[in-house]
Amino acid sequence: MSSNNYWKGIEELDQTQEFVSTNENEFSEGLPLEQVFSNDDSTRANRRDFLKYFGFGLGAVTLAACNKTPIKKAIPYVEKPDQVTPGVPLYYASSSVSNEEGFPILVKVREGRPIKFEPNKEATYFGGGLDGLGHSALLSLYDTNRLKGAMVFGKRKTQDWKSFDKTIIAELDKVSAAGKSIAIVRGGSTSIVINEAIQAFSDKYPSTQVIKYNPISYSGITRANHASFNQAVIPAYNFDQADVIVSFGADFLGTWISPIKFHSDYSKNRVPKDGKMSKHFQFESLMSLSGSNADVRVPIKMSNVSQHLIALYRELGGNTPHQGMEVAGNNIKAAAKELKLAGKRSLVVCGSNNEADQMMVNAINMMLGNYGTTIDLSNYYNGQLADEAAFNGFIQEALSGKYGAVITLDANPVYSHPDAENAFSKIPVRISTAITADETTTNATHVATNLHPLESWDIKQPYKGRFIMSQPTISPVFEGRHAASSLLSWTGVNVADKKDISHAYTYTKQVFDRVIGGDFNEAIERGIVEKIIPVATPSFNITGGVIADQLSSKKGSATELILYQKVGVRDGAYGNTPWAHEMPDPVSKVTWDNYLSMSMPDAKANGFVTGDVVSIKTSSGSIELPILIQPGQAKSTYGIALGYGRQLPEDVKNDLKDLGKNAYPLIDMKDGYANFISKDVSITKVDGAKLYEFGITQTHYSIEGRDIIREASIEEYRKDPKAGSYVHKPKMISLWDDYDYSKGHHWAMAIDLNSCTGCSACIVSCSIENNVPIVGRDEVRRRREMHWLRIDRYYSFEAPTKKDLNLSIVHGGDQTVEAGDLMTQEKVMEAYSADSDTETAYDYYQNVRVAHQPMMCQHCDNAPCETVCPVLATTHSSEGLNQMTYNRCIGTKYCGNNCPYKVRRFNWFRYNENEKFDYHFSNDLGKMVINPDVTVRSRGVMEKCSFCVQRIQSAKLSAKRDNRKMNTDEFTTACAQTCPSNAIIFGDLNDKNSEIAKLYQNDRSYHVLEELGIKPSVQYMTKIRNIKKSNNQTAH
Amino acid sequence: MHTSKKQIVFTSIFLTTSTLSYSTNNMSSFYSESTFIALIILSVVLVAITALLFGIKKHLTSLNNEKNSEDVEPSFYVRKIQPILQSWNPTIATLVIATGVLLFLGAFGYKFGMEEVGVQQGYAPTQPINFSHKIHAGQYEMDCKYCHSTVEKSKSASIPSLNTCMNCHKYVKAEEKYNGKTSPEIQKIYDAIGFDGENMEYIEGYEQKPIEWVRIHNLPDLAYFNHSQHVVVGKVECQTCHGPVEEMEKVYQYSTLQMNWCIDCHRERSIDTENNDYYEEAHKNMLAEGKDYITVAENGGLECSKCHY
Repeated sequence: MSSNNYWKGIEELDQTQEFVSTNENEFSEGLPLEQVFSNDDSTRANRRDFLKYFGFGLGAVTLAACNKTPIKKAIPYVEKPDQVTPGVPLYYASSSVSNEEGFPILVKVREGRPIKFEPNKEATYFGGGLDGLGHSALLSLYDTNRLKGAMVFGKRKTQDWKSFDKTIIAELDKVSAAGKSIAIVRGGSTSIVINEAIQAFSDKYPSTQVIKYNPISYSGITRANHASFNQAVIPAYNFDQADVIVSFGADFLGTWISPIKFHSDYSKNRVPKDGKMSKHFQFESLMSLSGSNADVRVPIKMSNVSQHLIALYRELGGNTPHQGMEVAGNNIKAAAKELKLAGKRSLVVCGSNNEADQMMVNAINMMLGNYGTTIDLSNYYNGQLADEAAFNGFIQEALSGKYGAVITLDANPVYSHPDAENAFSKIPVRISTAITADETTTNATHVATNLHPLESWDIKQPYKGRFIMSQPTISPVFEGRHAASSLLSWTGVNVADKKDISHAYTYTKQVFDRVIGGDFNEAIERGIVEKIIPVATPSFNITGGVIADQLSSKKGSATELILYQKVGVRDGAYGNTPWAHEMPDPVSKVTWDNYLSMSMPDAKANGFVTGDVVSIKTSSGSIELPILIQPGQAKSTYGIALGYGRQLPEDVKNDLKDLGKNAYPLIDMKDGYANFISKDVSITKVDGAKLYEFGITQTHYSIEGRDIIREASIEEYRKDPKAGSYVHKPKMISLWDDYDYSKGHHWAMAIDLNSCTGCSACIVSCSIENNVPIVGRDEVRRRREMHWLRIDRYYSFEAPTKKDLNLSIVHGGDQTVEAGDLMTQEKVMEAYSADSDTETAYDYYQNVRVAHQPMMCQHCDNAPCETVCPVLATTHSSEGLNQMTYNRCIGTKYCGNNCPYKVRRFNWFRYNENEKFDYHFSNDLGKMVINPDVTVRSRGVMEKCSFCVQRIQSAKLSAKRDNRKMNTDEFTTACAQTCPSNAIIFGDLNDKNSEIAKLYQNDRSYHVLEELGIKPSVQYMTKIRNIKKSNNQTAH
Repeated sequence: MHTSKKQIVFTSIFLTTSTLSYSTNNMSSFYSESTFIALIILSVVLVAITALLFGIKKHLTSLNNEKNSEDVEPSFYVRKIQPILQSWNPTIATLVIATGVLLFLGAFGYKFGMEEVGVQQGYAPTQPINFSHKIHAGQYEMDCKYCHSTVEKSKSASIPSLNTCMNCHKYVKAEEKYNGKTSPEIQKIYDAIGFDGENMEYIEGYEQKPIEWVRIHNLPDLAYFNHSQHVVVGKVECQTCHGPVEEMEKVYQYSTLQMNWCIDCHRERSIDTENNDYYEEAHKNMLAEGKDYITVAENGGLECSKCHY
């Protein structure tokens, strides 16, 4: 049993035999010497074998050395475009690929190849960040499985567009003549260009019906708003205006509606200013990213959410006879108290897709006066408006043979809707406009391959009045055609085919002039046009009391299954990008898999352990998945992530193949809407199934009980801004002559643990910027992930309620602090066993707090890695950088062994040339994404965070070239640049005007392991939680 | 018999020395000569045959001696050298000899590896167009930056695109040298870009093909080099690294492009701190320390991650 306050996983807490043994050494696996020296003759290499291999090796090396030096070509442009300078990147404003509704970004293009997405800082409304999937989706451009052009009958052979168009027009005319309807199934794109093209198409074929389709539905919100305000929309939420946020199962930081924008807004109030910060209550079943950041997180059953909403409504003074349901620990009361104080500067959101639940939320927000402040119904959100009732109606009509043709636009219903395949098979003409081979394309009769969003023009409208412009950033890789051009060509318009996208340009410009107006070129340059209207307060049609009556009978069930989205993969549409899968889930830290997440008390009660394969049965079907025990998860609730288990044809090489199981068929459609919460599920262990091993990153490096993460409550902080940083600064005695860093630059980083939500966007951004290879699930199991930047997630126990514990806990080894919110497992168990109300000994696993801590090379001024390198491959620069010279490294791994932060990574393979790592690095198309300014490392060398030295050098050079003094804040590292919550700040400490120099004066600042005297250059800022010291209001 | 033995020995010695001298004198073509490999194999075979013949002769002599049982006067080897060798510990002797051989080979290999492998100094490949820098940069004194236009903006100086060539060669056809016909080298530009030299117009819908120049300066990917840094900030002349290009009919690699070559320059060259505002602080510090100049090295120009990342 551990005596640490913080723990990273259950293995560490329980100190299992396996965990202890694998963490004793720096590298969990030794060299495979036992194979060589074993007595087993079959595996043993004898003297003859040795000589054979030795001789062969010598011969092979000699022969290889006789190769000619390859002749390298330098091929210039025939006619160089004016704006292109070889070696200098260009930035184009565009829209994010994976955020189909539209999200402003900049695309970094080198020599005509997009190599990275960067946030568009001009679009302040959207927050100036980007998420992990957004970054990953760049690889969809360089996917070898992309479709190559116009195709008929699913054959992967293209034909020319002219004859293809003739075929399609003949088919559509036949359908019209037969009196059948044409269906257009449209996905999450908010493109106004497509809108216009669909309109033109409908004019030609009046029997056309447009059906919107999203695998993830928010129809509960739209229908509730229709009932409450006559507006069937999803409102815009302004988390930056909210001082108190109460969320019922809505993972607004991870996956709910528009998480990147919510991140930016949310984090504005999370850093204490004048002793104030926002307060966040999260009532939820699974441990979501939002829950892990909440000040007060209360595990509840989501099937019971209606009762909690009624209780909150009543507590706020709502007129209803129904009591609802209070959570143990009076958390609803506490939330209501805070909400009342905050008044119209508060926000209540709910993740339920039930109309009545959402109407209750509307009533609560109306009562608090949030419409017009934190909720904006005037400039509402435009994306993900699909209504599954309409789509289910379409399915029924298709089965009855109403439709003669179907055109799918940005949608893949055959994968994400269990009845779609059957219904589609009843429609004779099935035209897909996909970019990459997917399930719907496999079942299509015609494929009119679309252009990739980065290859074409488009205008999207994610929020009413806010338009995002897309422009081509690369000439079409394959012979696709813009979907709008395809639709128009079928109405008889002559559109240019193949690689000429002039029609798409002209048409987009026409639509711009008609719908928006103004300077098209300026709009393209900025990437965003905003024409918003003042926020109005809507009138409420319905009273909360009536809704409470409706909801009162909606009670929870004994067990429930929640289908959720993972932060990295989301709905699975752009999941065919290995970066997204390699990115560990922010909370569970599992890569490359979905699983059944289960609470500790449930697992203990049934004797399950992580990795046991079970079968879960709901009223909609059953599925077999391995278990992952998730601390913080509510008892009797289970969770499965959607977006996995793709079914693709044999010849398709897809990273999503063989990954997890498809949970979409488990969505409960009984009540006419997509209910992501299934009631009364049963779980049985699959007989004879092997224990499944996850590729899980968190427990890979041990913290050995050191004082790495620091936190304090807001009250302690108000009393003493240095609260939490209780460890006294050690006397710095150095073995080395100290270097004077006060001249020139001294690069450093500051990370605010209060702003950091753990969303992991920085990990992907870093990987792309620095050509970090993808290693795959199997290598992650062997602890060989290559990420230069990881986010450590630490759990700690909350003190039990109902007991006035007066415990003292030892911190940092030598200093005693007061009883508090940090508990060792021993103390918690002791307290629980004395608590007669507790039914099960493991219930306390539901009440954990989470802290996220980004960890990368700390660029220590007295770096321990540098002193042990036998070949001086890692050295220190006069600017404070810990330099890693790959061509000098001989791979002894001493540095990795001596690094106290465990941030050095060893290249076990030549990932860019090894066919076993068939992600993107090893094929010609995927190699186009490589950053030409950063070396692609070879096998056998160490690597680590370089503080994006290529960006430092480039910014310095630009200042020198322009003959000016450098503004050290004019550039930043890839991680800091993409952070939607601005948690990472990078800069020059010697520049007194820089942001970092100011942050280094902050009272909350500390360095991890500063007592070692190694002087790290990354400063962390103590996490402040908006809680009182006493645990009266926290959950049980 | 004696003559034949001597012949064999001499042949093998000649072959070995000749190969050695060949390889040291002309190491750059070491790899490319397949006949040379055949020569090595041949010499190995000859040495093996020599050894075999020696063995047979020795055996026959001893048999002959036994048969005749005459008292033969012991040879020089038997009298002087054999006793010394026999007094040695065979293990130690083997180790000493092996170490010696290894050291010799190692030193040879080290020198070879350090100075020769991958170094392409003097590399002058045949280019798809016989472009003469001597005419353009020398005779007509064209500025290097006219064609290598990105040298002040980018890491690469860049080979000019064909439309740059056409600025002049639309009119300059060197017809006087080719009996009124367009020079075949200039015609290659026309063929690539699609220009009709006779009618003086671009051919519409022509499928253009770029010129595939052979890259001469091949810095390894692990080293980052930026032209603009050296040309604009460092004010280094093109010729400092590329040699007298204006005199080259056919361009060759003038410098070794080895790291010690980079570092030597960084150690010697001073930075113009006075006339660049970026170095304002560095200039003040320099004056405060009573120095007249600081070198690139003193400004951190020898640190690994200035070039390797």
